[in-house]
Amino acid sequence: MKPADQTTRERQATSIIPGMGPEQTARTTKIRADIHETIEADPTLKKRIAKLAMPGASRDLNFFGKLLVDCGERTIWERDTATLPWGCRYWRRKARDFARQYIRPDALAADLDPHNYDPKPILSAAAKAGFQTAMMPFPIGTAEPFAYLRAAVMQPAVIAEEFATECGGIGLLLLAHHLGCAPIMLSGHIPSMVRHLVPLYQRLKKGAPETMAFAITEPGAGSDVEETEGGAQAHLVTTAKRAKGGFILNGRKCFISGGGYAQKVTLYAKLDGEGIESWTCFIVDKNMPGFSVGRLEHKMGQRASDAAELILEDVFVPKENAVGKLRSGWANNRNVLNYSRPCVGAMALGHGRGAFERALEFCRRTYLGPKRLIDYQDIQYTLSDMAMSLWSARAMIWHSCAQLLRCNQAASATAKVIASDTAFKVCNQAIEIMGDHGYVHANSVERLWRDSRLTQIYEGTNQINRLSLIEFLWEAEFNK
Amino acid sequence: MSTSSFEMHEFIETAHAFAAKSVASIFDGEHADGKLDKIDDVLSTAFSIGLAASPDPNQPGYDYGIWGAALSETGLAPSTLMLSAVAEVCGGVALNLHVQGLASQVIHMSGRQLTSPPVRVAPAIQEEFGLPGWGTLNVPSVDAPARVMSEAKPVKGGYVIDGVKPFMYAMPGAESAVVFCRVDENWGCFLIPLTSAGLKTEAVGVRTGLRASYLTHLTLKGVQIPLEARLDDGDALPLLIRSLSLHWLGLAAIGAGIARGAVKAARKYASERYQGGTMLENHPVIRMLIAGAESNMEAAGALAARAGDMHLDTPEIMRASAIARLTGLQLSTEAVTDSLQVFGGYGYMEDYGMEKRLRDVTVLKSMAGTPQYLKQFIFESGEVRS
Repeated sequence: MKPADQTTRERQATSIIPGMGPEQTARTTKIRADIHETIEADPTLKKRIAKLAMPGASRDLNFFGKLLVDCGERTIWERDTATLPWGCRYWRRKARDFARQYIRPDALAADLDPHNYDPKPILSAAAKAGFQTAMMPFPIGTAEPFAYLRAAVMQPAVIAEEFATECGGIGLLLLAHHLGCAPIMLSGHIPSMVRHLVPLYQRLKKGAPETMAFAITEPGAGSDVEETEGGAQAHLVTTAKRAKGGFILNGRKCFISGGGYAQKVTLYAKLDGEGIESWTCFIVDKNMPGFSVGRLEHKMGQRASDAAELILEDVFVPKENAVGKLRSGWANNRNVLNYSRPCVGAMALGHGRGAFERALEFCRRTYLGPKRLIDYQDIQYTLSDMAMSLWSARAMIWHSCAQLLRCNQAASATAKVIASDTAFKVCNQAIEIMGDHGYVHANSVERLWRDSRLTQIYEGTNQINRLSLIEFLWEAEFNK
Repeated sequence: MSTSSFEMHEFIETAHAFAAKSVASIFDGEHADGKLDKIDDVLSTAFSIGLAASPDPNQPGYDYGIWGAALSETGLAPSTLMLSAVAEVCGGVALNLHVQGLASQVIHMSGRQLTSPPVRVAPAIQEEFGLPGWGTLNVPSVDAPARVMSEAKPVKGGYVIDGVKPFMYAMPGAESAVVFCRVDENWGCFLIPLTSAGLKTEAVGVRTGLRASYLTHLTLKGVQIPLEARLDDGDALPLLIRSLSLHWLGLAAIGAGIARGAVKAARKYASERYQGGTMLENHPVIRMLIAGAESNMEAAGALAARAGDMHLDTPEIMRASAIARLTGLQLSTEAVTDSLQVFGGYGYMEDYGMEKRLRDVTVLKSMAGTPQYLKQFIFESGEVRS
C-alpha cells in the first residue's frame, strides 16, 4: 500500500463516500420500492395513518378549533424568519442566498489553504451587496432604519448566522470588519464617525474590498481585557505617548481577527505612565510608519480569516484618530463586547446549523439495511435534540438583540455562552451521527466543528462571560 | 492469566520511554501533526523494541507487543496501558500500534502457521454502513439492521471476494489486510495481500485528526485468494467478536491516554501563565476546569481498566469494551476540551498541541460505531448477559 498524501486537494476532490456508488444506488432503489410496496399493500393502514396525523385529525375540529391549530409545513427557518421585522427578514433571506452563492463554493479550499486564499472578490461582493455596511442604518449604512431602532444588532446577527452556516473562516473574515467599526459607532463621537466611518462606508458601498479590525488582546492579557477585575490587574504593554499633533504608539497586539488583511485597526492603548483606566481607542492605518503585521497564527479552525500579531514601533497617530474622549477606551471596549457577543453567538449558531443541515442530509441519503438512517427512531431522537438545541439558542440570541438600541452585558454574555456551547455540542453530535464520514474534511461537518470551538474562546472565554453576567446583575439579582 | 505487577511496570516503562524519545521527536517543528514523513522511522523503532506486535514470529513484539500472541497469558491490561502511554504524546502513533496488534491478534487466534507471514497488517472489519449490528453479527446475511454486503464465494481452489471495506486504518507500509466478510450464512476471515489483483486502496483524504495513521477505503472486486488464506475454520464469528472487543477497548485506552496528556499540559500551563494579577492556576474557575478534566480523565481510564481486567472472549468483555468506547471516550473528549479551554486563545492555536489532541480524540469518538449503534449493542448484549 502506498502511503497516502493526506494534504493534497486532489485527494479531497476524489475521495469517495461509500454507499453512494452505482451498485449501492441500484440496491437502495430496490429497497425504496419494497418499502413503498409494504405500505401500499395495506391501504387501510395508510388511510388511518394519514387521518391520525394532525393535519388530518384537525378536520374533526370545529371552525374555531381549526383556526387554533398550526399545521403549516414550514421549516424552522421559515417560521423564525416570519417573526422578524421586515428589515431583518430582508437581510436574513439575502444573507442566506449570498452565503450559498459566494461562501459555500470557497469554503473547503479556503480552509485547506488559507494562505493562498484571496479574500478580495468575496469582500467586494459582500460590500456591494450592502453586508459590510449593515452596522449603521440608512443613509450612512445599509441597515433598515425601523428594524435598527427596534434592535440595533439584530440585522448583523441574522447575517452572521447565515454566513457562518457555510463557513466560519469566511464568515469571520466578513464579520470581524463590523467589530472593527463598532468602537467608532459606539463612541458616540460624531467627528470620528464623519471623519472615518462615513468615507469608509461610501467606499464599501461601491464595492471596495476594505475591512477594519478590532485590537484589544495583548500577549500578556487576553481574557483580562474582557472582564473588570482582570482588567484592573492586566499586564498591558501597548502605550500611547503624547506628541505634537497626536500620539506615539508602541506595543503589540495578538490574535487579532482579520488584523493581517485589514486596512485600518481600532486599537486600544493606555496613556503613558497610566493604567488601564486610561485606555483610549485609536484608529491606526496599516500604512503608518512603524506599524507592521507579525506572526499569523496557525489556527485549528476559522482558518480563512487570519489571526494576526500587530506590532507598533513608534507609530505616530494624529490626534484626530483618537476615538472619542481620552480614557474612554475601557468603557468603549466593554460596550463593543456587549454588542458583538450576540453576533458571535449567532456565528456559533450558524456553525451548529451548518453541521446539523449536513448531518440531516447525510441521514436522508444513507441507507442502513432497508431503511434510510433518518427513518430510524434513535436517529430521529438525536436529530430532534440537535434541532431543539439550535432553536433554543437562536431564541436566546434574538432575545439578547431585542434590547432596543442598547445591548446589556448579561443578555449578550448569555447569548454568546449558550450559543457557542450549543453549537459545539451539536457539531459533535453531527460528527458522531455520521460515524467515520463525520471527520472527513470533504463532508464539511468537521470543519464547522473546528470553527465552532473558537466561539467558546474568543470575545471572552465562556468562563469570563459567565463572570460578566454576575458582574452586571450583582446588585440587582445576586447580592440582595 | 495476567501479568505480574513487575512485568506490567516494565511494559509501561517501555511504552513511556518510546513515547518520550521516539514519538516526541516528530513534534520538533511547526506542524501540528508532527513530521508525518518520520512516522515510518518511529514505527520501525516500535517494532525493534517489541512494542508493535506482528504475525511474524521473528519480530521482537510477536508475543508481548500490543495485542501480541501472548495475550491470553498477559491479559489485556498491559496492552491498554501501553496504548495509553503512547497516546499521551500522539494518538495517531498509538492507533497505528493498535490496529497492527489487532490484525496480528486475529491471525494468532486463528492458529494458522503462515509460511511467509507479513510483518505489517491491518484489520478491515467495517462494511459500507459501518459495523455489523447485533443481529447481523449473529447472522451476517440478515438485515438486522443491515446485512453484510462484502462476500466471499467459494470457487475451485479458493475464494473470490467482492465488496467494499471502508475506513480501514493501517500502518504505513501495511502488506496485508485481515478482511471479515460473509461466506454463505456465516462469517469468514481472510488474510489478503494488499497487492492482490482486483484489490484497490483509496486514501480517504483530508480528515480531522489521527493523521499519523493511514486511512483508506478498501475495494475488492473479484479478488481471488487460495483456500489457505482463510483464517477461520468455517465460522469467523469468534475472531470477529474478539476483534470488536479489542478494537473498542483499544480506542478507549488511546482516548484515556490523550486525555492524560492534555490534562498534564493544562496543569503545566496553568502553573506558568500569569493572568489577572496572579498565576492562572490560582483562579478558582481554572481550578474547576482542570479538576473536572482530571476527574473525567480518571473515569475514562477506569472504564478502560475495568474492561482490561476481564477475560477474553466473554460477553462481559465485549459489553464492557463497548461501554468504555462509548462513555470512556466521551469522558476523555470532555477532559481534552476542558484542558484546551485553560489555554484560552493559545489552546486553539497549533503551538501547544492542544487542538491536535482535541482533533484526535474527536476522531476516536467517531470511529467504530456511532453512539446509537453502541447503545443498541450494549442494550442487546445486556439482554444476553442476564
